[in-house]
Amino acid sequence: MLENEVEIKSSAELLKTVEGLKSDGYRYATMICLKANEGHDFIYIFEKDYKLKNLRYFVKPGEKPKSVSGIYLCALLIENEYQDLFGLTFEGLAIDYKGHLYLTPNSPKAPLA
Amino acid sequence: MTTVIPFGPQHPVLPEPVSLKLEIDNDVVVGALPSLGYVHRGLEKFIDTKDYNQTMYICERICGICSALHGITYCMSVEKLFNVEVPERAQYLRVINGELNRLHSHLLWLGLFADGFGFESLFYECWKYREGVLDVLERTTGNRVIHSMSKVGGAAKDLTKEHIDLILKMLDTLEPQVKNIDKVFVNNYTVKKRLVGLGVMSKQLAYEAGTAGPTLRGSGNAIDVRETADWDIYKDLGFKPAVEKDGDCYARTKVRINEIYESIKLIRNAISKLPNGDIAIPIKGFPTGEAIMRTEQPRGEVVYYVKGNGTKNLERLKIRTPTFANIPSLLLMLPGVKLADVPIVVLTIDPCISCTER
Repeated sequence: MLENEVEIKSSAELLKTVEGLKSDGYRYATMICLKANEGHDFIYIFEKDYKLKNLRYFVKPGEKPKSVSGIYLCALLIENEYQDLFGLTFEGLAIDYKGHLYLTPNSPKAPLA
Repeated sequence: MTTVIPFGPQHPVLPEPVSLKLEIDNDVVVGALPSLGYVHRGLEKFIDTKDYNQTMYICERICGICSALHGITYCMSVEKLFNVEVPERAQYLRVINGELNRLHSHLLWLGLFADGFGFESLFYECWKYREGVLDVLERTTGNRVIHSMSKVGGAAKDLTKEHIDLILKMLDTLEPQVKNIDKVFVNNYTVKKRLVGLGVMSKQLAYEAGTAGPTLRGSGNAIDVRETADWDIYKDLGFKPAVEKDGDCYARTKVRINEIYESIKLIRNAISKLPNGDIAIPIKGFPTGEAIMRTEQPRGEVVYYVKGNGTKNLERLKIRTPTFANIPSLLLMLPGVKLADVPIVVLTIDPCISCTER
């Protein structure tokens, strides 16, 4: 468990919380993706006045996570990275590289999955 | 009617391969799409095969320019997992190594930038001055680029009296040299004509776009991780972040020049206050839990996330590098810019693609 961490239960709650953080003046730092219980744990990291706020959201096996790039455009690169490396598919990506941000068609598939 | 023009991956101003698909209308950019993937090495996967001490050496090799701060940040993140505080002398040694790293990185960038707008002699001057910093790094650490000064638990190498004299002598030589190139970058009519008002990003846009480092501070945001609680030592050294408010290429250049003076000051202060004592503490066992650590690299804030599971290998290492944070800002800065000015705008985020792709 990270310091200042909030657990998010649903994708709707995630989007609402992220929108709220943007309104409150938080800066998007990055997102971590971890393998967890057949699914994935996402940790969204935000920053304001040098303090971090972390949102943890469990993505169930087979779930297509919602992109937050519609709220923070800068999230598009990291979400595309996880499409490449974990074989995930995000819904609503601002720019979708379709699993080829880094990887070519001949590269290993989802190497971190 | 718009035309799509590829910019890169091989381009005279790009030291590393990155590609932009530029939508051009009447010589003006109306859209830009970055393409990556030319130097992805899968280093976050590679650490599966390394123990947590060996991983420091992998992190240093993410990038040849900000290698020291990658190593330092990694060590600090693992020390957080062990919940240990390294000796004070080690903290000072890390500051000195990190700031020397920043000096050579900014001088490298200034040279590349001058070359980018066709000022060859200025490029030569910047890189000539950078050599002095690299020589000192080589004499004090044994290597010009990959220094391995840090290890989990403190510093791997100490500075001797002779080393300190070398560093101070180099700084005395470098400061007037930087003043010489500062005059040209800041006052030269042609340089200003190329940079002022170009690639403007407002304070709010730079903040909301999640930018980092001089790209963020050049737009008036006084955000520098060296002010955080993890880096208390910087307060004692009188650190002040360099900030410019205009948000254009000229402002981002001035931030980096001012950061060179700040680094010179910080190194001198760190040397004058360098405490005696141990440079490392022994670390026993294997890391468990999760930790996040941030430091201010030359290009901006780097974020390290580490997760240990009680074995010698980390379960997960994730690195968010500053260029990774700054690339999306090109989508905002490039529209409206003339095709001929694209290289200048791209260079002002100081793109490091090896860091970005890892």
